[in-house]
Amino acid sequence: MNIFIPLLAGIIFGYLFRRRIDINLDKPMSTTLLLLIFFMGVEAGRVEINAVDIFISSLTFAVLTILGSLFFAVVLGGRVR
Amino acid sequence: MSFLYFVLGSLIIGLLVGKYSSFHFGNLYEVMLYLLIFIIGVDLGKSKGIKEIRKLGKIALILPLATVMGSLMGGLLASFLLGLRIKWALAVSAGFGWYSLTGPLLAQYSAVYGVIGFLANLTREILTILFYPIAIKRIPKELAISMGGATTMDSTLPVIVKFGGSEVTIIAFVHGFILTAIAPFLISIILQL
Repeated sequence: MNIFIPLLAGIIFGYLFRRRIDINLDKPMSTTLLLLIFFMGVEAGRVEINAVDIFISSLTFAVLTILGSLFFAVVLGGRVR
Repeated sequence: MSFLYFVLGSLIIGLLVGKYSSFHFGNLYEVMLYLLIFIIGVDLGKSKGIKEIRKLGKIALILPLATVMGSLMGGLLASFLLGLRIKWALAVSAGFGWYSLTGPLLAQYSAVYGVIGFLANLTREILTILFYPIAIKRIPKELAISMGGATTMDSTLPVIVKFGGSEVTIIAFVHGFILTAIAPFLISIILQL
């Protein structure tokens, strides 16, 4: 199933019932998230992973996406300030 | 911050269970993913973020646009440096720091890229917490918000407000809100390329 379906269903449901949904969604979201990450770990645990390579890749992505965002923010945002 | 320990604990226990046992959980992973996506949708639908966007004017749209362009360019550069396929690199960078969404979405297609998507975006969040106070010494504080990506509406907001001042609160929230709304769509579109 495409994730657009539950996402759009959720957005429409949330918008239509925005005045009636009085519950805090933090707890159900956190519980679902922890279970999801556990299952993701189970899947990843079955694959041979080089921890050092993954760490280097993750750090590279994090640094480059941050630097890229700052660069474009200064270039584009600097004109609006 | 304490929830982060639960998240990391959950990942580590999952890795150990996957590596050292032969338990099968059927399609529980997908059920949880769709449930999480639905809850995220409900949260977005009932959010009042759209009203805040109108108050800010141009910067409310230009800053998230800069973050999207910069993150994707960063991901593209990372794909060349690390020798990864552009599609996966763009999908990892389109998480904008939202590790809990990016990891599981990518893991649907590849367990390894799922872990990279998770850790890369978690690292982005941690680096924002550590380096936002340093970055604003050289870059205007409202523009430096872009480093936090989608996390600026929740987990990195306290650091941004503490060091950037209360005047950047709304812009940080709106920036995070827009990226939070974009990320699930953008990652899915990239993964289907």
